[in-house]
Amino acid sequence: MFSPLPMKHVMLQIMTDELPQASLTLAELAVFSPDHRPVHEESFPIIPGERFRELYSQAGSRLEKIGRHIALPPQVHLGRIHVISEQDLKKTNAWLGEVWERCSALEETLRDLQEEEQMIHQLEQALENFSHLNIDLSLLRGERLFLDLRIGMVPRANVTQLREALGLADYLLFVYMEHEHNAHVVVVGPRGKREDELGSVLDTAGFRPLPIPPELHDEPEKVRKELETRRHRIEQERIRQLESMKTCSEALREDLEAARSTLVMAEPFVRLDTAARSAGHLSIISGWIPARDIDRTEKALTRVLEDPFRLNARRPSAEERLLVPSYLPKHWLMAPFATLVKQYGVPRYGEVDPTAIFAVTFIAMFGMMFGDIGHGLTIVLAAWLARRKLKSFTAFAVCIGLSATLFGFLYGSVFGYEGILKAVWIPPLSDPLYMLSVALKWGIAYLLLITLISVHNRMVERDITRAIFDSNGLVSLVFYLGMIYGLWNYYANGAFGLGAMLLSVTALIALLAYKLIETEAPPGERMLVALIETFETVTGYISNTLSFLRIAAFSLNHVALAVAVFHLADMMESTHGHLLMVIFGNLFILVLEGAIVTIQALRLEYYEGFSRFYSGDGTEFRPLRLETGITA
Amino acid sequence: MTAITSQTYLKTRVAVMAKQLYSPRRFEDLIHSPLETLGKDFSLVGLIEQGLSPATLNRVAEKALIRTLMQELSVLLRPLEGPARSILVHWIRKFELYNLKAIIRGKLKELPFDQIRENLHDLPPLISLPHERLLRTENILELLRQLEEGPYRDIAHQARRVYEEKNEPFSLDAAIDHSYYTGLLRRASAAEPKDRSSLLRLLGAMIDQQNLIWLLRYRFSYGLSATETYFLLIPFGRRLFRDHLKLLVNEDSFEGVIEGLRGHFKDVMSDVGNALEAERILDNETAAQAHQSLRFSPSAVTRSLAYLVLREMDLKRIYAVIQGKVLKLDDSLIRTAAGMPGVPGEETQARVAGHV
Repeated sequence: MFSPLPMKHVMLQIMTDELPQASLTLAELAVFSPDHRPVHEESFPIIPGERFRELYSQAGSRLEKIGRHIALPPQVHLGRIHVISEQDLKKTNAWLGEVWERCSALEETLRDLQEEEQMIHQLEQALENFSHLNIDLSLLRGERLFLDLRIGMVPRANVTQLREALGLADYLLFVYMEHEHNAHVVVVGPRGKREDELGSVLDTAGFRPLPIPPELHDEPEKVRKELETRRHRIEQERIRQLESMKTCSEALREDLEAARSTLVMAEPFVRLDTAARSAGHLSIISGWIPARDIDRTEKALTRVLEDPFRLNARRPSAEERLLVPSYLPKHWLMAPFATLVKQYGVPRYGEVDPTAIFAVTFIAMFGMMFGDIGHGLTIVLAAWLARRKLKSFTAFAVCIGLSATLFGFLYGSVFGYEGILKAVWIPPLSDPLYMLSVALKWGIAYLLLITLISVHNRMVERDITRAIFDSNGLVSLVFYLGMIYGLWNYYANGAFGLGAMLLSVTALIALLAYKLIETEAPPGERMLVALIETFETVTGYISNTLSFLRIAAFSLNHVALAVAVFHLADMMESTHGHLLMVIFGNLFILVLEGAIVTIQALRLEYYEGFSRFYSGDGTEFRPLRLETGITA
Repeated sequence: MTAITSQTYLKTRVAVMAKQLYSPRRFEDLIHSPLETLGKDFSLVGLIEQGLSPATLNRVAEKALIRTLMQELSVLLRPLEGPARSILVHWIRKFELYNLKAIIRGKLKELPFDQIRENLHDLPPLISLPHERLLRTENILELLRQLEEGPYRDIAHQARRVYEEKNEPFSLDAAIDHSYYTGLLRRASAAEPKDRSSLLRLLGAMIDQQNLIWLLRYRFSYGLSATETYFLLIPFGRRLFRDHLKLLVNEDSFEGVIEGLRGHFKDVMSDVGNALEAERILDNETAAQAHQSLRFSPSAVTRSLAYLVLREMDLKRIYAVIQGKVLKLDDSLIRTAAGMPGVPGEETQARVAGHV
């Protein structure tokens, strides 16, 4: 519960042909995390399955792209689980390629239709413009003997440069209208040898010719109708294309689901990547398996592999400790707290997993700061009602709500009213100094626990020196205890006490000596660094301890806010006004103070707690599994 | 940071960084240094000792040099915001455009995506395209559709038109280059007044260089017409103005263009006999303007851009030297590839195909 599961490094020696089957079985068991280090590179130089990975990657990409047009259910139902051969994958990939080609053609057609629609829109604008001109438009059409005349549009940004470029070929460019990003232009010049080069430069400039209908001048209505018909035809074509795709998707969906299943079953071999190495017929797979699952894995492999194999398992070496993935057991109640812990980082293998400690202390601190039966039960109710949205965080909200309720009983507070129930323990405002002393004691206990965990973690790493002398080691713990003992003596008897003094000073000197030895710098700088670091350790303990006073401060703040709400409510003249003020005031407390208290509790956990013992740079255990989208 | 402090900070930063720039003397030393010494300067020692293949070593060296440039850019970007920041970011996008061109060419040639990927630069997310998604496209039209959805929408539209009309990669490259420099110019024009004129002066020199290179390439290597060539130029250079460019594009031979140059360009390019030599001289011209901007410009962003331009030139040369050493080329060939003048008194016959 307090540390990741013991892991073993395994090396599976099998026949190369059976790699896909072995990877599939390991994925079914979901207990194997591949080790991609090239440790056996010399003896096993080949990384098998290169072509398989290429095919998988292309097929996966195709399926993803097809998914934009043909929606598939989020969960994959695999049916009979079986090994996917390279041939199967090739076939699936080729089929997906054909489907994607159809989808891609559809995308291109829709894009073309959109372009055409825009073109019609531009043409309408141009014709509207022409219809007001008193010129014979037939002059603008057809071939002429001496004149090369073109009407069209170009992006506005290209007009100036194009005009000058055309000038070099003795052509003129006139802009007769600008619409959106396009300029409608007339290009005119003498027919002759430079006529040919014009086409190329116009293409480069993005010139698109606009056909002028011959009837425009005499029968503009006919032209408009014609354009409207073309627009309608485009819309019809778009609907037809989409309908055809829809029909096609209905027919293809089942096969696509089968293709997706194929890819899910092919994925484990792909994910093995460099964790599988081969030397001809013999291959190895390296990785990590929780110690408790070794036998189960061996039995499963014995059942499915036809040829003999060998599974060697060993404890991780000291050098490998940082590489071993941390297997954090998943419990529905702990899941939201584990998520919050992971925001800080994953514990190293062997380190204490702080999730349980985090959960207990966070819930307790939240309750202490937000103790109120009414507010607590409201949180529980709200969490339950919003359980579909909150998902795994429902448990989190329910826990902190219950904690607030429990402390509400201890404080005797219901929606801020303190006279309804008798406090089991103490109403916070009745003795603020007592509340502060309780918070201080909680802080001291918390820091002692955290320092002990830090010592344990260093011991697990076999770093005895740091376990004893580091800023969060045994020596600093002794110093902290000496200080607390001395201050307690001073508070009770008016004197620090010789024993406490000896304990603190000796520990402080040991701490300074260690810093002096550990620092690598010239003597002056070494002394300065050691002094500053020792001073930082001392101030760190003091400030961290005092930081916990906020627990009491917020419990007082909670009551004080409620008092303020009641004062405002009393100022209301009507009963309705009073009631409304009490309701909205409580809502305000719930939302605003609730958020602040959550942040403060998190801050205490992360800053005062985790930063002392938790490196958070571990690797989470992510086993090979069949990614069906179904939560186990 | 206030505007004045960030300007002062940036100028100081650039001044410190400028000490890394290579003098001609230092380049001479570099050419005579063994590969191991070069590797030490650019953290490639381990790789050289591992005995990697020349191709892999070249790739690694190129990546290391681009990484250096990106790291320096990120330092210079920190105090910048608004149009000034946008100019530097746009300038560095040239590397992403190299990638884009490589992807487009690869798709046109129907190369497998792993092969295309090998030719792409590793770039920071600030400017990087979604390579994987683009590589997974199965033809050029799908690629263009993907691009039309992102920040390269304008380029994609233009590229599509050019592709549909002409269906060849050169036009796409030209459209992309043109769009890049126009974007740079647009950003400089939108810069704050205190930066604008010095930025335009520096960009003018860069555009002069590009215009002349494009002019020679489009007219005489690709055989484009004068009108089309002129359309693909950007008539906002510092010395090559609109009317002058019109006269130059109408010339029918390389020599004619060189003879048609006026003023300063006529002086420096009178002896140029081929495009490679022209590129080298134009590089030097841009470098001279960049050096001047770096030392005297009152605008911090111009100094930053000038530094980046010079640093990129240096890194390209260093890369050419490393590449030459890896391939065990002759010093004179390396010198040509690095765009350096020949040793006095020595006739450099070596010619290399392509660019550094």
